[in-house]
Amino acid sequence: MQKGLHKFFVYTLLILLSMLFLAPFIWMVTTALKAPDELYQYPPKLLPSTWHFENFLNAWNSQPFNLYLVNSLIVTVLTTIGQIISSTLVAYGFARFKFKGRDFLFIILLATMMIPWDVTMIPQYMAFNMFGWINSLKALIIPSWFGSAFYIFLLRQFIMSIPKELDEAARMDGANVFQIYYKIYLPLVWPVIVLIAVFNILGTWNDYLGPLIFLNDQSKYTLTLGLAQFKGVHDVDTNGIMAVTFLISIVPLILFFLAQKKIVEGVQSTSLK
Amino acid sequence: MRKKKIWFSLLVSIAVLIMFACSSNGTSGTETKDGKTVLRFATWDTGESLKIQQDIAKEFEKENKDVKVQVEAYADGFDQKIAASFGAKNPPDVMYMWDFTTYSQSLEPLDSYIEKDTDINMDDFYEGLFNYSKVDDKLYGMPAGFSTMVVYYNKKLFDQYKIPYPQAGWTWDEFKEIAKNLTDKSKKQYGFSVTSEPDTYDLQGLVWSNGGSFISDDGKEIKGFINSTETVESIQLYGDMVKEGSAILTGGKNQQSASDIFKSGKLGMLVSGVWPIQGFKDAKVDFGTVMMPAFGSKPVKGLISSSSISIAKDSKQKELAWKFVKYFSSEKAINMRTADLPVRKSVVEKNKVMENPLYEPFYTMLENATNSPAFLLNKNWNEINRNLSAAINAVMVGQDGKPLFDKVVNESEKYLTKD
Amino acid sequence: MKTDVGVNAEYNPVYQKKKKWNKIVPYLFISPWIIGFIVFTLGPLLFSFIISFFDWPIVGEKKFIGLTNYITMFTDDPLFWSSLWITLKFALFFVPLNIILALLLAMLLNQKVKGSSWFRTFFYVPSVISGVALAMIWGTVYDGEYGILNYLLSLIGIEGPNWLNDTSWALVAMVIASLWGQGTMMLIFLSGLKNIPQDLYEAAEIDGAGKIYKFFKITVPLLTPTILFNLIMTIIGAFQTLTLALVLTGGGPLQSTYFYAMYVYENAFKYFKMGYSSANAWVMFIIILSLTMLVFKSSSVWVYYENEVKNDK
Repeated sequence: MQKGLHKFFVYTLLILLSMLFLAPFIWMVTTALKAPDELYQYPPKLLPSTWHFENFLNAWNSQPFNLYLVNSLIVTVLTTIGQIISSTLVAYGFARFKFKGRDFLFIILLATMMIPWDVTMIPQYMAFNMFGWINSLKALIIPSWFGSAFYIFLLRQFIMSIPKELDEAARMDGANVFQIYYKIYLPLVWPVIVLIAVFNILGTWNDYLGPLIFLNDQSKYTLTLGLAQFKGVHDVDTNGIMAVTFLISIVPLILFFLAQKKIVEGVQSTSLK
Repeated sequence: MRKKKIWFSLLVSIAVLIMFACSSNGTSGTETKDGKTVLRFATWDTGESLKIQQDIAKEFEKENKDVKVQVEAYADGFDQKIAASFGAKNPPDVMYMWDFTTYSQSLEPLDSYIEKDTDINMDDFYEGLFNYSKVDDKLYGMPAGFSTMVVYYNKKLFDQYKIPYPQAGWTWDEFKEIAKNLTDKSKKQYGFSVTSEPDTYDLQGLVWSNGGSFISDDGKEIKGFINSTETVESIQLYGDMVKEGSAILTGGKNQQSASDIFKSGKLGMLVSGVWPIQGFKDAKVDFGTVMMPAFGSKPVKGLISSSSISIAKDSKQKELAWKFVKYFSSEKAINMRTADLPVRKSVVEKNKVMENPLYEPFYTMLENATNSPAFLLNKNWNEINRNLSAAINAVMVGQDGKPLFDKVVNESEKYLTKD
Repeated sequence: MKTDVGVNAEYNPVYQKKKKWNKIVPYLFISPWIIGFIVFTLGPLLFSFIISFFDWPIVGEKKFIGLTNYITMFTDDPLFWSSLWITLKFALFFVPLNIILALLLAMLLNQKVKGSSWFRTFFYVPSVISGVALAMIWGTVYDGEYGILNYLLSLIGIEGPNWLNDTSWALVAMVIASLWGQGTMMLIFLSGLKNIPQDLYEAAEIDGAGKIYKFFKITVPLLTPTILFNLIMTIIGAFQTLTLALVLTGGGPLQSTYFYAMYVYENAFKYFKMGYSSANAWVMFIIILSLTMLVFKSSSVWVYYENEVKNDK
């Protein structure tokens, strides 16, 4: 009896909260479908009186969005691979070894997240200009191959909660540190790696400031720069913004749906069986 | 076996992506692969206006076969992008510009180019426009487009309340009366709208029309200007209308703006530039435009928001840049700009713009735009403006103006002489 | 490849060479970050630190002015203090609320229910919508006259405030809007929860432990590494809150949502005072760093890494 009540309570809560979290998304979609003269009404109406599905097509075709999509895909895939490889290596180094200057270096790692980009943007632009990366996707991709503090810190926390006996046992079996990293830790933290991939895909996909500062030519633009074209200095194309925001959020949403099962598998589920 | 295949195809696709990323090498240099010279042109315009500019650039390319104009559209991010690229000494060759006091040192003065030129016909431009791109008597930008401020009114609401449409020469007293009559709170309908965080720039037309100003003409005094009775009174006018309930207070950047409410038909009158006209038409609002009201018998003063285009001092191809700038403000190009107001008299005449009652008031206001905006008069205006904005925002949400403006003067006078 | 670097080898003098190698190995692992730091980050950081002692307009003449930027900030700039105070107020509410909410949501999603994949995706949707659209949606929600929130409130007879134009509500509105996008923290907690071995719960149940006991004696202690992470990241995030304020209120009304990050941003890109802005940023850095160090120092008391727990037994 009590169990049934508990279940009922959990489901009610889950459904209510889902509605709360989904509401703006649904609002966004229905706004995208409205005719311009229906956008602003009081009392607010959720559904359009006639459904203008062509709004999606018009918005997408108003700019070379297919090209932007390709650019976004290139940047997202390549940064994500880079982040996974570098961040796992570095996190493993910080979590599993004692070495001189470790804590100091770790504080520096954290510290890099504490200076706002506003003040380092211009010197960084100059450096990238020197490397010849301005107006090239390289400026967005290459730095990600050297790890990011957020992911390294996150991975470190998970690796540190894995019992050390594991690698001691592996060492007894004659494995070296790289093999331990590769054969034991990587599979163990796989769910966290998927988590990082999700964060990075989303972060790169939605990044606006990076592409804005480093890219010039329209043929290099990413989706967010295209999206920003709907919001001018004086006027806003509400239909366009809502329609394209919806369209470009489909990819990360599907990916998330596929990935979340992996994320919740838990770090240790494999090891303890 | 299957797993190996997956890994293999994954590797191949990554390799392809990397190739893409590297081959799509930027043309940050000044030449494309087929040997054309690249001219960078940055704009803040979007949508229809941007398309038109891209067309103008294409026309220019047709006449200059060895040039590729790289149109860089930064939309709302324009200011930040331009600041970063100037800061890093890698600005576009040609760019839209409004903030001449900040950037003049990094822009190319155009006077010598104009002198050398024979067919540019400077008299064809509306004289007032050059005021906005001059610093220390040097011209840094050619006008490309402009807007002035007018009053938009919703004809349907006026008809409904049997109020005659406003005519040029009307006064703020009439305006206030109409706003009061159009307001019906139970319907969430208002006569006028005031933004809680106005750009002080946009309020200058109002201030000048009452005989006030933010700063002396020589840019050396704010005492007796910012806190003068005329200035305070004109700003207070807006704040009082909010307090009395005949104007609705609207919010910041992405909140429901006055033009959104106008589109929904719940707003009687709105002060704005030319920008939302197309949006109002799309939203099927029946509206008209009229010049700004006067303070009693004082003359109405206009305010210009201009788009000029300028050349970066660091540009390595200034002659070509000038060629483009000249083309961009030529009769042919201005004629193509159907999304905003033509800056050349010949184009206005040819297209009979003045016969369109929606556009005519903008030109009436342009003729009255003879004052120089404060930011062009003192290079530290930014600092003073920070304090002034805070005071004006406070008036909009119902505080009393006079003491606030006195305080602005006290706190800001030190910036006047700072170098 | 040498494969016999065992634990015992470390104590054997014959393996001196390997010992040296062992000393290098950790640095090899972290080398990607070190290289990246030196090439991409260190230079710009030093640059911004140096120009914080300069009058450095984006365009125009640069001038060394010693500590003037810092002195002005503390003695002659009321905006510095007010923006700092607003940010602290924001952080004070946002940091604990964000962590508690994210944890509660994660625990809810951790229940064994049908369709859990869908619920997890729904809960994460707010984090997927980006930038302008999100700000516009919040604009339509919060609008005082025509907003959805006040419309809903009016249906139950409450007259809502003019959220974003009312100095006493704007910051509250910011906290709510920020909390709504907590998906990242929630996922990290969920991942941490899944990380707790089920057998611990089973063992406790056999001992007859109740739900509350299990939560405080098993869940919380084993989750502390994740809590530490989320705490530090939320603190850093709270101090750098910018986007929402920038696009929604522009810092208003009457600077009641003028966050410190906005102060830094505007000094740099609206007032073009790169030197002053850098000085602002470094002061913020010192504040966040001290808070982080404090949390880290305290963490040895309250954070349990599992290997330590096991060693204690």
